[in-house]
Amino acid sequence: MSARDLTPQPPVSEAEHGLRSARATARVARTEAPVPHPSRRHIGPWLRETAALILPAVIALALAFGAWEAWIEIKDVKPYLVPAPSAVVQRLWEDPWFFTQEGLRTLEAAMLGFLAGTGVALALATLMSQARVLERSIFPLAILVKVTPIVAIAPLLTIWFGFGLMPKVFIAGLIVFFPIMVNALIGFRSVNPNALALFESLSASRFEVFWRLRLPSSLPYLFAAFRFSIPLSVIGAVVAEWFSGDRGLGSVIYIANNNLDMETAFAGVFMLAILGVALFLVTTAVERRVLFWHESNWDVR
Amino acid sequence: MSNDRHIVIEGVEMVYESGPQRLHALDGIDLTIGRGEFVSIIGPSGCGKSTLLRIIGGLQHPTSGRVLIDGRPPRDLQRDKQLGFVFQDPSLLPWRSVVENVRLPLQVNKGQGARGKGQEDVDILVDAVGLGEFQRYYPHQLSGGMQQRVALARSLVTSPSVLLMDEPFGALDEITRTAMRYELMRVWRSAAGDRDCTVIFVTHSIAEAVLLSDRVVVMTPQPGRVSSIVNIELARPRTEDIEADPAFVAYTQHLRSLLREHVLV
Repeated sequence: MSARDLTPQPPVSEAEHGLRSARATARVARTEAPVPHPSRRHIGPWLRETAALILPAVIALALAFGAWEAWIEIKDVKPYLVPAPSAVVQRLWEDPWFFTQEGLRTLEAAMLGFLAGTGVALALATLMSQARVLERSIFPLAILVKVTPIVAIAPLLTIWFGFGLMPKVFIAGLIVFFPIMVNALIGFRSVNPNALALFESLSASRFEVFWRLRLPSSLPYLFAAFRFSIPLSVIGAVVAEWFSGDRGLGSVIYIANNNLDMETAFAGVFMLAILGVALFLVTTAVERRVLFWHESNWDVR
Repeated sequence: MSNDRHIVIEGVEMVYESGPQRLHALDGIDLTIGRGEFVSIIGPSGCGKSTLLRIIGGLQHPTSGRVLIDGRPPRDLQRDKQLGFVFQDPSLLPWRSVVENVRLPLQVNKGQGARGKGQEDVDILVDAVGLGEFQRYYPHQLSGGMQQRVALARSLVTSPSVLLMDEPFGALDEITRTAMRYELMRVWRSAAGDRDCTVIFVTHSIAEAVLLSDRVVVMTPQPGRVSSIVNIELARPRTEDIEADPAFVAYTQHLRSLLREHVLV
């Protein structure tokens, strides 16, 4: 906050009356205590809070792995059925570059698909929010796309687009498209009616209403969709890699499965889990920055 | 108050029809409001007072009749940003800070109708409503009363010639509400600018109507009609003492009796 914000501003009007009133009301205002800004915390407490936040999860994870390891030991489960977590971690450790590289391939496909799917979803939701007749024509088509099992068309895509990035991006995009479109549409419509009336009373254009009111109003709904559709895009990319994969974690897992190389298969799964958690954390962090004004991001204590 | 006919409402009628049902919301409303006049519209719920306000503001079109402001339809005044609105909820944009919310009317419609208005006008108004120290705060960091002050500043930033208020203090607690009434009178007279600003104020508080108004329009429901108009001849500026004034008390009692006739308990 700059010094300008803290010092009283010059007199409001030349009129003595107005000046006095401004001061009087400033006094009144000061008695109404403002809520401290949640995002303006110092970094030290932030670290401590984060530790408090993730420590329970870390402990739970360690316990689960411990139980898994013990089960393998005690029951003497064969490594070609289920590998011990220590063996999986060791497999990752032996060849980290390989798994990272394949993971990045999958990530690339998932993110491109997410971006493309979001782009199309936002464009269609924007159109539909402008006229009911457009909604009635576009929405059924979108549902048709939605109810088509992705797994059924995945092999087709290989025939159409060949191997490589394109079918992966396509499936990842397809899988995120519908939830984002639906949420965007609800978001564009969930506008404070009085705010809308205000825009109308100022002769705001349709574009301005959309840009300054509908789009920001939809952000909480959009982020809710992003939270689960970003992991979905990874699933989409992996599914595509099963069918058409030459590279990526999906094909790594597929090939390892066929070779009964469970350690590699599980190492791929672990990598996917790490990818998923990382993406979720990034999404949450971005959401907290963008939606600082929304009640979903306030710390309720 | 001048004798200038600023707002002329002629035979305004509003009928909502849905299938066999017909709701006669407003019936033959005739009203002339002078420039710089403060007029309250009071009446029980469902008497169409908010509908009338929306019609005056050009947000709704009447089934018949018309509204002229300076001889022009309300839509024309919207284009010039000559209509300020304050609603019962502050309806601030939560992603915009206090100053950014107040600046909004200057920005929309490509900044038209607000020529020569700028950051200075925003700052002056934010100060005038007592929020100079809270310029960079966001709505969720402000109390309900402070949020409504922002809405008031926002409605005045284009120096509108008509200010339309729809139960603006209805959602506030009694203490804040009382403070806001005096606040409104001060800001209306000083910070609203050099020109006379006509205020139409919808309320269901009798004390509020008497305290603020030059004239109180009493409406009755089913269908919404103007049943009587009461001139409030109390000297301005009005201060807290006035509420104990016998004349003030007499006005409130008179209005209460006028309203009682029409309310079936």
